[in-house]
Amino acid sequence: MNGIHISKREDLPKKRETVIRILAVILSIVCAGLVIWILGYNPIRVFPSMISGALGTEIRLQQTILKAIPLIVTSLGILVAFKMKFWNIGGEGQIIMGALAASYVALNMDGLPKGILLSLMALAAMIAGGLWAFIPAFFKAKMGVNETIFTLMLNYIAIKYVTYLQYGPWKSPESQGFPKVATFSDNAVLPKLFGIHIGWLIALLLVVIVYIFINHTKKGFEISVVGESRETARYAGMNIATIILIAMFISGGLCGLTGMIQASAVEKTLSANLSGGYGFTAIITAWLARLNAIAVLFVCIAFAILLQGGAYIQISMQIPAAVADMMQGIILFFVLGSEFFLQYKVNLAGSFRKAKEVA
Amino acid sequence: MEPVKAIEMRGITKTFGAIHANQDVDLTVYNGEIHALLGENGAGKSTLMNMLSGIYRQDNGSIVIYGKEVHFTSPKDSIAIGIGMIHQHFKLVDVMTAKENIILGKGKGLFTKNKNLAKEIKEISDRYGLDVNPEKKVYNMSVGEKQTLEIIKVLYRGAKILILDEPTAVLTPQEIKRLFQILRNMREQGCAVVIITHKLNEVMEISDRITVLRKGKTIGTVKTSEVQVPALIEMMVGKKVDLEIKKEKMPIPKKPLLEVDNLYVLNHDHKLALEEISFSLYEGEILGIAGVAGSGQKEICETIAGLTRAERGRIFFEGENIIGKSPRDIIRLGIRMGFIPEDRLGMGLVGSMDIVHNLVLKDYQNQPGVFLKRGPCEVKAKAIVNRLDIQTPGIHFPVKKLSGGNIQKVLLGREIDSNPKVLITAYPVRGLDIGASYKIYDLLNEQKSKGVGVLFIGEDLDVLMDLCDRIMVFCIGKIAGIVNPDEVTKEEIGLMMTGGKEVSLS
Amino acid sequence: MKKLLVILLVLTLSMTAMAGCGGDTGGGDGGAEDVTTIGFLYIGPITDGGYNQAQHEGYTAVKDYFGDSVNLLYAENVAEDIQAVKTNAINMIDNGASIIIATSFGHMDGMEELANEYTDVTFLHFSGYKKNDTNFGNYFGAMEEARYLSGIVAGMTTKTNKLGYVAAYPYTEVRIGINSFYLGAKSVNPDVTMNVVYINSWGDAALEQAAAESLLAQGCDVLTQHADTSAAQTAAEKAGCYAVGYNIDNSAVAPGSFLTAPVWHHEAYLIPVIEKIIAGEYVPESYYGTMADGYIGLAPLTSLVSDEAKTEVEKVQDQIVAGEYPIFVGPLKDNEGNVVVEEGKALTTHDEIWAIDWVLEGITAIQ
Repeated sequence: MNGIHISKREDLPKKRETVIRILAVILSIVCAGLVIWILGYNPIRVFPSMISGALGTEIRLQQTILKAIPLIVTSLGILVAFKMKFWNIGGEGQIIMGALAASYVALNMDGLPKGILLSLMALAAMIAGGLWAFIPAFFKAKMGVNETIFTLMLNYIAIKYVTYLQYGPWKSPESQGFPKVATFSDNAVLPKLFGIHIGWLIALLLVVIVYIFINHTKKGFEISVVGESRETARYAGMNIATIILIAMFISGGLCGLTGMIQASAVEKTLSANLSGGYGFTAIITAWLARLNAIAVLFVCIAFAILLQGGAYIQISMQIPAAVADMMQGIILFFVLGSEFFLQYKVNLAGSFRKAKEVA
Repeated sequence: MEPVKAIEMRGITKTFGAIHANQDVDLTVYNGEIHALLGENGAGKSTLMNMLSGIYRQDNGSIVIYGKEVHFTSPKDSIAIGIGMIHQHFKLVDVMTAKENIILGKGKGLFTKNKNLAKEIKEISDRYGLDVNPEKKVYNMSVGEKQTLEIIKVLYRGAKILILDEPTAVLTPQEIKRLFQILRNMREQGCAVVIITHKLNEVMEISDRITVLRKGKTIGTVKTSEVQVPALIEMMVGKKVDLEIKKEKMPIPKKPLLEVDNLYVLNHDHKLALEEISFSLYEGEILGIAGVAGSGQKEICETIAGLTRAERGRIFFEGENIIGKSPRDIIRLGIRMGFIPEDRLGMGLVGSMDIVHNLVLKDYQNQPGVFLKRGPCEVKAKAIVNRLDIQTPGIHFPVKKLSGGNIQKVLLGREIDSNPKVLITAYPVRGLDIGASYKIYDLLNEQKSKGVGVLFIGEDLDVLMDLCDRIMVFCIGKIAGIVNPDEVTKEEIGLMMTGGKEVSLS
Repeated sequence: MKKLLVILLVLTLSMTAMAGCGGDTGGGDGGAEDVTTIGFLYIGPITDGGYNQAQHEGYTAVKDYFGDSVNLLYAENVAEDIQAVKTNAINMIDNGASIIIATSFGHMDGMEELANEYTDVTFLHFSGYKKNDTNFGNYFGAMEEARYLSGIVAGMTTKTNKLGYVAAYPYTEVRIGINSFYLGAKSVNPDVTMNVVYINSWGDAALEQAAAESLLAQGCDVLTQHADTSAAQTAAEKAGCYAVGYNIDNSAVAPGSFLTAPVWHHEAYLIPVIEKIIAGEYVPESYYGTMADGYIGLAPLTSLVSDEAKTEVEKVQDQIVAGEYPIFVGPLKDNEGNVVVEEGKALTTHDEIWAIDWVLEGITAIQ
């Protein structure tokens, strides 16, 4: 017989699942270690340095958390869409549109009291991000247009539009012609709590809210049912189009909020690369968290550790960015790969044991 | 002369994890014999045949084909030795012609010799009385034609031993007749035929010998001519089963619950799926719908439930036109539907969710507020599990991991539990074994006696005739007639289904 | 399988354990006595054959000069947003850096924030205009002087009388360069015109090449660029035309086209300022280095440059170094016909020059 036989796994004992996961992490470390060793670095120093670089001191911890915040909020947004099996690849665009709306408010209404201004910015961002997700949702719900391509393309439109604003109408007159949007006034900057902007508090709150929303509300239940089986939802008398529209508005709204947090707390302005790839990374984290809001929190923190650790070793060990990125890639490859082996069973040629219904 | 042993399986054992799918199974099939493999779902029939066709390998035991012990490592080995299997789900490429499907996978070399092929197909067809136009595309074929094509395909590959897995499940009575004729022709030609089924009347009609499996073990092999149906059932089920479907007479002053008036419905391609549909459903009756698959059964269910828009026409429920109402409102009125699709889960239940959440599915919209309340449904779930004797480790167990019969009980139990006035049930016994099926029929009769109007869409004409007070026959989206099952034969209904003849009775 | 698992587990554990003993010595021990840790932020890779390479040459010179008394760190590809600047700079500070040097204009806002947050660290920003009174200063140079001289070379080399200029952004620094280069060419060749293409990026080899090719197609036979890589020079070489480089001496990269290049000598500022910082004598300033200071230079004229041009360049260079040769002398009109410098006036101070928001008559600019 030729080839390999792949079939979906029905059940896997918890113990084996744990073994596979641990094996994946170990293998990834060994593999990445081998690569950096070949490149002339000492893996025995690199890995601990990565961990300590992400968690070792208060400053490093703060840096890690700063990276986790946008990842968590965006992942929660992606989660809501993915729960419905609506493949929202448009997180980047929704972040950007959220940042755009927040920036509009920040730049034009900075006379308002801080609390009101920030609330308005957040609201504007969520509406803008939500609407940006609403467009593909509308076409999906009404005409069955494929959302994957649609949301992906909307990313580019959003990014190019902000680039246009940056170079044109919104260009700050103070930057000597350099294409940069004006910096926000202090009123429009999120305050800090324990040394980190309060985005962390927002992210934690949202984890709880999204968890309750998905698991304990009627809307959340509807979203889950639509995701599991559209026909069942229809037969249960659900209005699928409305559910898609609402869920995507929420999904985009959360991504939009990320845009507001990043614009207000980090960049203090609007820029086309403000989304920082979080819209895409969040797809990985939401998936690894198995679309569970609580798990999102931990997966995102782990991912942020990887990001900060990678950035740290670049500096401390003067490892080129490309090598650090490659290490992250290898680790991710194994972790995602283990998910494949957890969900599918691979049989090599010769053994014909199909884990199918016993008939 | 002693007949030639085509298949001899001895002491076959196969386990999947902890489950013994086959345990020390013996089966002998002779040339020139039609052999029925009988058993309830889960008895191990398909597992046994899958080993014969090289899909699985036995853990223990031997397979001897034409006197030679074989060790298959793939389906190819099995085909090479002359075994052909016709699966329940046809393995055909829709966009190709019959001829192209036949040569598919046989391909040695890039090009095929057209002339020879046409000749060969004709030869095979003539020999066994098969009739398929080689140039017809598969998507234009009826189910019967597709099945015939599958048979030609395996014969073309040189099969002398034919295995058919539940071949009649999707056929009309006329098509079944034709199939049986083909099988008899094959017997004449000295082939060995194994037919897997759980329909007893068919077994009695077509087979020469019967092997009964129960819970993975061989119960025995008998000659068809020497056995009676009740004895077979006892072998299958392991105990005596009362196979009477009670049919209570309907009360005389009939009150119509549902009146459908001149209904027209379009399908997804904007073609008429239902035309001129008018009928009444009375309280306390079971109205059956018979028809070839895809004759509008799904559309009539969905239109009554408000899931599909009617192009024209009206549907009155207790005097009120419900066309244009939302599915939700229609459910509230007391019209409940349980539709069992081919995969059993797709339309009524969420497979990965537990029984409680599947009950919540039809309940939550009546709850006030934004939060989901599970409490009442947990109580209900326990009650349903107890009342319908659903085999499950608990009410928080994903329904997709339950057996088919239990899944269907959950679905039907949920609809019945709401005390509906009209119960629409489509294919409720699809894939169920005898015991489970009769449990479902009892449930429907119980509803009928409560005065519920039951619309029953079924596949098995025998069951329809035994269970229903009236049968409405659909033929390509139109009502071919509404008949009293006591006054017509199965064959007459079969003809109406295919547009042969109209009988008007009330 | 199990065996493999055990082996892997042991391997990993031993790795972690060994590392645990070693502690975090990887984090460059900036705290040791008398060693100053300095972090450099670059916008691109140090091998870009231009801007970042020039910055990194400054780094190397600092390293050579100070030897073991400094520990130098650098980060490549630091984007022009606050997040990227802060992440890298904070990781450097965490590794003991007491001086952070950021080298792209867009790093400015991040540096400003950092200066407020880390008051015991000194921040130096190249090409920006922000500073404070304690720990944040900026530095730049009068590149217009060298640009003007390279313009003379271009003006005397062109046969089509059409120059091509690959430019980053329509931004003041870039406009100063465009105008001074053109004025230099015009001073020796009154018929010369110039086309400018903006690529809206500081450095992108593909974009720069595409822009260069379009300029060549428009009939320009001498190119120069205000962008980070050497793509314009290689494109000119391929087309059999000439090119004036920028940032560093690229005569080896495109020997067939390279005439000369206005170049940076960052070490001319960095070495003395770092000495001052270490000595605790640094007072934040806006440094503006000139040719006279040795901060700005002109790469040696190659053999492709005529003797005539060489003589002219030497003559003017002497006057510039002596401070007797203002670049922007009236009357000057912009390319919309407005008088921007009146007859009898000249732009001489930093602030006057850095108010330029026009390009001169004779220049066609494409956004």
